[in-house]
Amino acid sequence: MSEESSNKSNSESARKLVLPGDLVETKSKPGKGIFRKDGRIYSSVLGHAHDKSGYINVNAITGRYKPKTGDKIVAICAETGPSIWRMDIGSAFNSTLHHSESSWKVPFGDTARFLAIGDAIWAEVFMVDAAGSHQISLKKDDCRKLYSGTIVKIDPTNVPRVIGKQGSMITTIRENTQTRIQIGQNGYIWIDGKGEDIALAQKAIETINQEATSKGLTKKIEKLLEK
Amino acid sequence: MAGQTDMKLIKNGVRLDGRKPDELREVKIVAGVLDNADGSCYLEWGNNKVYAGVFGPMECHPRHKQKADRAIVQARYTMAPFSVNDRKRPGYDRRSTEISYIASQAFERVVMVEEFPKASIRVDMQVVEAHAGTRCAAITAASVALADAGIPMRDMIPACASGKVNDVVVLDLNKEEDNYGQADLPLAIIPSTGEVVLLQLDGHLTPDEFEQAMDLATSGCMDLYEKMRNALDNRYGGSA
Repeated sequence: MSEESSNKSNSESARKLVLPGDLVETKSKPGKGIFRKDGRIYSSVLGHAHDKSGYINVNAITGRYKPKTGDKIVAICAETGPSIWRMDIGSAFNSTLHHSESSWKVPFGDTARFLAIGDAIWAEVFMVDAAGSHQISLKKDDCRKLYSGTIVKIDPTNVPRVIGKQGSMITTIRENTQTRIQIGQNGYIWIDGKGEDIALAQKAIETINQEATSKGLTKKIEKLLEK
Repeated sequence: MAGQTDMKLIKNGVRLDGRKPDELREVKIVAGVLDNADGSCYLEWGNNKVYAGVFGPMECHPRHKQKADRAIVQARYTMAPFSVNDRKRPGYDRRSTEISYIASQAFERVVMVEEFPKASIRVDMQVVEAHAGTRCAAITAASVALADAGIPMRDMIPACASGKVNDVVVLDLNKEEDNYGQADLPLAIIPSTGEVVLLQLDGHLTPDEFEQAMDLATSGCMDLYEKMRNALDNRYGGSA
């Protein structure tokens, strides 16, 4: 039967794996990654339970990217329409980029001239509706089209690992490889620089993705980059 | 069931492969074995070998199968040509179509399909080696793969068969028992509620024997559920 998991502390060692259908003992209000049955709270995904500021969440370890308003992402053009682009952002559905959300003045039917299939952009999710469809925008902050460079795809749940505490990990990679890197919340990472530098940064990021759960990762990556 | 033999399948309460009537074959489950799938699982159950891969949730194709208010689960069960003694003609047949359909229905009971309108969750189950009980093995493996893929579910569903051999109700039939036995009853349940999501019966059982077979299969499912949990624990339990 379902194993009970109490989550009294948030310390790393006390973190316990919860599986779908596991009872989560808590007095907090239900957040995400859970479902309620008979007044009790159960986990709906494979992950770790967090009891934080009155809410209980189960953060999934695996799974596709779920767009959230305000997320900065790397998107790849998958389809073009007369006035929209359909962008691959690694979630269940492709995201829509309307021409009015771009910085270009696009004549009707001429979308592919600005963004063709395979082209990448740095964009922001600006609308997610209840039905799960979402739109992204190129008009915010530093959003732009990405020229040259490479895109590496990792598990979106490992994105915080690649960034590190206060950006420590990504700073290490940037400084050691002399590359420009933009990390999308969706797990798509854009790297630009010299050929061998890109390859090294890519290797580092892929290593982090594969070994996201192991300890002492920063040291390992530093060693890998020194070579 | 149809096969005839003079072979004694149970001698002094011990079966051909040395098991007791209420014993499972050895089960080995490994989660997360395929790189290209969102979630995956490899399962060995006796001589059965099964791979399961989960893709999605993603846009449902063909479009006419989309449901505006929920996702659908598209399960696919296939046997490799080399999985059985006589080469199996590859591709869909009546049997695999049936198993795919009942597996889809079983998974739709536990997967939170209402969270992903218009989407489809594809579950591919590939039998690499078959030795009786592959539909149960495939469903069990697919459950682990679904959890591995991070798909929200109410529970995981273990599946296990029981049956009747030499007038004895036994758990988890092997190939000989399946071919020459008297009944085969595959069962899949939701462990937390005891709800039955898949139940088939091939052969004959008296009402008493049926009850006995159900109890046996249920306990088999529960044992299996622990093994599924361990597999996921081994994969993700060490995470900091």
